[in-house]
Amino acid sequence: MIEIKNITYRYDAETDSEGPSPSAPAVDGLSLTINDGETVCIVGHNGSGKSTVAKHINGLLLPTEGDVIVDGMNTRDESSLLEIRKRVGMVFQNPDNQIVTTVVEEDVGFGPENLGVPSEAIWERVDEALELVGMTEYRKSAPHMLSGGQKQRIAIAGMLAMHPKMLVLDEATAMLDPAGRKEVLSIVRRLNKERGMTVIMITQYMEEASECDRMAVMSGGKLFMQGTPSEVFARGDELRSIGLDVPAAVRVCERLRAGGLDIPRLPVTVEEAAETICRLL
Amino acid sequence: MSIVVKNLSHTYMEKSKIAVKAVDDVSLTVEPGEFLCIIGHTGSGKSTLIQHFNGLMQPTSGSVTVDGYDMADKKQRKLGRELVGMVFQYPEYQLFEETVYKDVAFGPTNMGLDAEAVKNAVFEAMERVGLAIDKFCEKSPFDLSGGEKRRAALAGIIAMQPKYLVLDEPMAGLDPMGRAEILGVLESLRREKNTAVIMISHSMDDIMRHATRVAVLEKGRLIRLGEPREIFKETKLIREMGLDIPQSAQIAELLRKKGVAVPPEVVAEDELVEFVLAAAGRNNGRING
Repeated sequence: MIEIKNITYRYDAETDSEGPSPSAPAVDGLSLTINDGETVCIVGHNGSGKSTVAKHINGLLLPTEGDVIVDGMNTRDESSLLEIRKRVGMVFQNPDNQIVTTVVEEDVGFGPENLGVPSEAIWERVDEALELVGMTEYRKSAPHMLSGGQKQRIAIAGMLAMHPKMLVLDEATAMLDPAGRKEVLSIVRRLNKERGMTVIMITQYMEEASECDRMAVMSGGKLFMQGTPSEVFARGDELRSIGLDVPAAVRVCERLRAGGLDIPRLPVTVEEAAETICRLL
Repeated sequence: MSIVVKNLSHTYMEKSKIAVKAVDDVSLTVEPGEFLCIIGHTGSGKSTLIQHFNGLMQPTSGSVTVDGYDMADKKQRKLGRELVGMVFQYPEYQLFEETVYKDVAFGPTNMGLDAEAVKNAVFEAMERVGLAIDKFCEKSPFDLSGGEKRRAALAGIIAMQPKYLVLDEPMAGLDPMGRAEILGVLESLRREKNTAVIMISHSMDDIMRHATRVAVLEKGRLIRLGEPREIFKETKLIREMGLDIPQSAQIAELLRKKGVAVPPEVVAEDELVEFVLAAAGRNNGRING
C-alpha cells in the first residue's frame, strides 16, 4: 500500500531548481492512498505536478513537507530506500533514456544484478520478464534497433526482473505511436489482472484512464478530484475548466444528453457509448 | 503555386547491403490553405518524407518543387526553403536564447530582415500563438510551462512567415488544452494567411476534426490520399496498420454491427451526434404518433 500524506514539494527547496515558477510548490498538500492490486491513473494538465508525485513514490524525490509511506516504510528513512525501490518499479517517458546496455537480455538483467541476485537466478528472472512482455525472441537484439513500443517493453521487463510489487508508469506511452501505446497498456493490464500488480499510471490521454479502477485528477499541484472513471468523466465541465477533457466517446453522449436525449449515466468506453446509443434508438 | 512531390523515393545507405527504402515512389501536391495530415505506423516513412519538403533531405530519385523552385538545385533550394517552415518533434528542446523575444527573432533575423521588420514579425507571431508580448518578451524560455515552451518554439517558425508549415507531431505530450491551443493557432494561420499546414500526427480525433486531406503511408508508400471521412471509413485497413480510429467512427462502426442503419458518411463526432439526435427524434415521433 502507498500512503501519500499531505505532501508539498518545492523544486527550489533543493539545490537544482527546475520548477516553472520558483516560489510556487509543484505539489501542494496532496494526500492519496493506493491499495494493493489497484490500477490508479493520475491525470492533470501540463505542469499540474503529476510527474512530481510519481517521483515521490519510490523516493526519487522527498517531500518538502508531508510523508510518503510504502508498505509501512517512510521514503525519508534512508535505510528503507533500497527495499522501497525493490518494490516500486518506475518506467519513464523516454525509452531511450532507460536503456543502459547494448544487448536486450543484459539490459533486463541489469537491475537484479545490482540488487545482488545470484547469477543463476538473474537469468531465470530475465527469461521470465522477457516472456511476460512478449520480447523473448529479441533477447539478443540491440535495444537501439527496436521500436519505441518495444523499447518500453524492455524497460518494463527490466523493472519486472527486480520483482516489484508495484509499477509506476510516468507518461510511459507519451512518445509512442498508437500501436506501441496499445502494446504497453495491454501488458500492464495483464500484469495487474494476472499477477495482482499494483499499477500507477501518469498519463495525458484520458482514453487510457477509462479502464483503470480509480482516477486522481490534479490541477495546480493539488488533488482536484478522484473517483472511478465513470464518476470523474461525469464531471466534464469541471475537467474542461482545468484544461482537460473527457474522451470523445463520453463527449458524444454529453452532447446527446444536451440535445434532449435521456442518458441518466454517461458511458466511459466506446463500447458502453455504443450500447447507450443503441438503447435510445 | 504549390509543393509538388513527384515519384519521390528515398533509400537510406543506398550503396550498402542494408539499404532501406524509407520512401517509395510517392507523388502528391500540397496546395496553399489546405490542412494535410500524414498518418502511418512508426517507420512508415512519414518523417523522411516531410524532410524533403524543405530540402533537408534529397530524394534518391524523383523530385520536389516548392512554388516552382527545384529543391535539388542549390540556388533554388535556398529560395524554396524560405517558403517552408519546419517544426520538429518536441521543438521546445531547441529553444536556446536568453529571452523569448531573441529566440523567436532568430529565424527572421537570419533571413536578413531589418530590425523593424523582425520586431513586427516577432510580435505578430507571439500574438498568434497567444504569448502576450509584455508578459513574455523578456522572459527566459526556460521559465515557461511545457505548453508555453511549445508555443514559443512554434512562434519562432511562424515569425519567418512560411507559406507552408510542416509539423512533426506538434501536439505530442501536451494536455487537451495545450493540444487545442496548437490546433487553434494552425487554424488561424490557414484562415487569415492561407498558410498550408502539413502535419504528422497520431491524434485521430483531432485529424478528423481539422484535416482537409489525409495521406496514409505504409512501408514508404502512399497507399491512400483523401478526405478524412473517406480514409476513416476504411476501419479495417487503418486498424491493420496499427493505427487508431477516431472514437466517433468506432462508435458508428459498433452501432452498425448492432444493426443500426448508420450511413457510411457518418464518421466525425458532429455527424454522429446529429445522426443519433435525428434518429431518436424520428423514433420518438413514431412512438408518440
